[in-house]
Amino acid sequence: MKNITFNQKKTSTIALEFDELIPDEVYTWEKSDFDKYMVPIGNSRFPLSDYFDVEVEGSAESPAEVIMTLNGDLGRVKYIGSKMTDGHIVANSSVDLHCGAEMSGGSITINGNAESYVGREMTGGELEITGNVKEFCGASYIGDWRGMTGGIITVHGNAGKQLGECLTGGQIHVKGNCDILAGIHMSKGFIQIDGNVPRSPGGQMLNGDILINGTLAMFLEGFDQEEIVSNPTVSGKQFNGKYIKFTGDIIRNGKGSLWLNAEKNRHLL
Amino acid sequence: MAYEEPIRDYDRIVENCTCAFCGCNCDDLTYLVKNEHVVGVRHACRLGASKIMEDMDQRLLVPLIRNEAGELVETDWDTALDKAAELIANSVRPVFYGWSETSIETMKQGIKLGEYVGAVLDNQATICHGPSLQAVQNSGYPVNTLGEVKNRADMIVYTGSNAMNSHPRHLARYAAFPRGYFRKKGRFDRTIVTMDPRYTDTAKMSDIWVGFNPNGDYEFYTALRAVLRGKKLKEDKVSGIPRETIEELAEAMKTTEYGCLFFGLGLTHSLAKQRNIDAGIRLIQDLNKYSKWNLIPMRGHFNVNGFNIFMSFEMGFPYGVDFSRGYPRYMNGETNTIDLLTREEVDVFMVIAADPGAHFPGGANRHLANIPVIQIDIHWGPSTELADVVLPGSFVGVEVAGTSYRMDGVPIYMKKAIDKPETCRDDEWIVRELYERVQKIKGEKIASK
Repeated sequence: MKNITFNQKKTSTIALEFDELIPDEVYTWEKSDFDKYMVPIGNSRFPLSDYFDVEVEGSAESPAEVIMTLNGDLGRVKYIGSKMTDGHIVANSSVDLHCGAEMSGGSITINGNAESYVGREMTGGELEITGNVKEFCGASYIGDWRGMTGGIITVHGNAGKQLGECLTGGQIHVKGNCDILAGIHMSKGFIQIDGNVPRSPGGQMLNGDILINGTLAMFLEGFDQEEIVSNPTVSGKQFNGKYIKFTGDIIRNGKGSLWLNAEKNRHLL
Repeated sequence: MAYEEPIRDYDRIVENCTCAFCGCNCDDLTYLVKNEHVVGVRHACRLGASKIMEDMDQRLLVPLIRNEAGELVETDWDTALDKAAELIANSVRPVFYGWSETSIETMKQGIKLGEYVGAVLDNQATICHGPSLQAVQNSGYPVNTLGEVKNRADMIVYTGSNAMNSHPRHLARYAAFPRGYFRKKGRFDRTIVTMDPRYTDTAKMSDIWVGFNPNGDYEFYTALRAVLRGKKLKEDKVSGIPRETIEELAEAMKTTEYGCLFFGLGLTHSLAKQRNIDAGIRLIQDLNKYSKWNLIPMRGHFNVNGFNIFMSFEMGFPYGVDFSRGYPRYMNGETNTIDLLTREEVDVFMVIAADPGAHFPGGANRHLANIPVIQIDIHWGPSTELADVVLPGSFVGVEVAGTSYRMDGVPIYMKKAIDKPETCRDDEWIVRELYERVQKIKGEKIASK
């Protein structure tokens, strides 16, 4: 195994772009390679060593044998783990935009909050965020109809708007509350929200499952109530209790399922 | 309103001029010129006329530089351009914002400069119709021209837009009142619908007003589309609108011969943002199964659409285009001016033909006050108070000719009517000159290394 530890020396107001510092690229690198590396900041490149002190221990034959640990304030470090295919990244701070975007394998643990576009268009791997995520978690790039197509995102806190927008596969589990338009345009995959949702989950969805364990304040006219199911199995997971099953979104001839905890959503019956 | 005497004291008339105010780009104006100043404008609305008959008291006439005491002082063109070029050449995260009130020819120079220095090029869409552009990328653009609306439309829908106040001639020249080829009786041949939470001036002159709840747009459009698909609505009211009203409206829209939906910032900036427009576009697509429908965004500045069309054509992205890595990138929330300013990433800001000082949120302006700002404009405004270098430009469509794009995407060549003040320069020349000077500074830097 190869442990690469980034200890922050100073912060930058202009974001550092870490898209080149993924296990796939750095598994053969020695400390001297990191010292030589120039990190993109704005329209220029600056020595990484100005911002991070990098320690390298052990060696790796492939990206899978790399553990990257990032310490310090990462609020201005973008694209952490973007496009990675294997290995493990631990970020011990809140992270900036596009963390885990387009990743296809490996895992990322964020011990903090994540800015927008975390897990954008990811196709595989695991992403765990102990705090909150902002808008467009697991979403698509603007104009694309395929968002996240595989992998697992677990959010221990709350999620912002348009979670899992255009979801085409994979699973997203939010343990807190979620803002509006979760799973909009989704066509496959599974979104589980344990907290409350204010309005409009599953707008224009074609297929897939959204399960809400908390309260949904307002939902769209494009959904029809199918039945009340006890202890349903949704996307291979069993849930205890009674759930109201809606299907939609009718306005797109969608056949998606919206599962609402019956106990907490009596007002919608 | 007091009676105003018609203007009779003028030297010459310039006909078929194009208005440089809103996205209607009315190209039937007549300017009355005396002593090389426009003293009167015929056919324009009050908004357009007041802009064209410029107030020379506020006109920027000479280049200015902020001195060490913090005051703007007059300087010569060479000094001002050198200072601006030096700031741009040494910047790490420059943003060039504005462009919506200048010509396509200037934008062409702007792209050259932006690409060369690795800047972000953005325009006012970032605070107005940006969500519309995102939705168009997602769902398509069922657009038509204003000429088709005039000649064919028998139903006009304004949603989230108060055209009577923001685009006064829109109704008179294109949408509601004009007699068209197939609409000989003008207003009497058309049904006007306004969908807006507020009972606006446009709603007052409409046949139908649908006053749904604020932020209820997405739910309302979904209900309307569900009815078009034959669904019986479950709720008695959706977004505050009775079920029967929605059903009647859906029927009226289905049975019309030719309809056009005009949408404004009320739709783009309520809760669901680009998803409201997405729902609007899908509604139009659904309606086209029964009738002929199109939609047009009510663009504000006369060339705001031009920047988006031009950038999309040249760079593949409509606004917020980031050249920092040497190739164009575009990501909302990352490469847009407001986000970059509120995150305090920008280190040099060039504003051309725009007034962020008047329109940006406090956090963004606070950062502008802390960084070097270069302004290219014709008038003194709040942005001038933030500027460190001021370069006085020229009035496109009055003092210099140039190309612009109307709200429906029709390009219009705006002709020159009068000469610009001798001390001012044309925007295109200024940006080209900046490019050449930045190139020289960077070349010298490379040579010295």
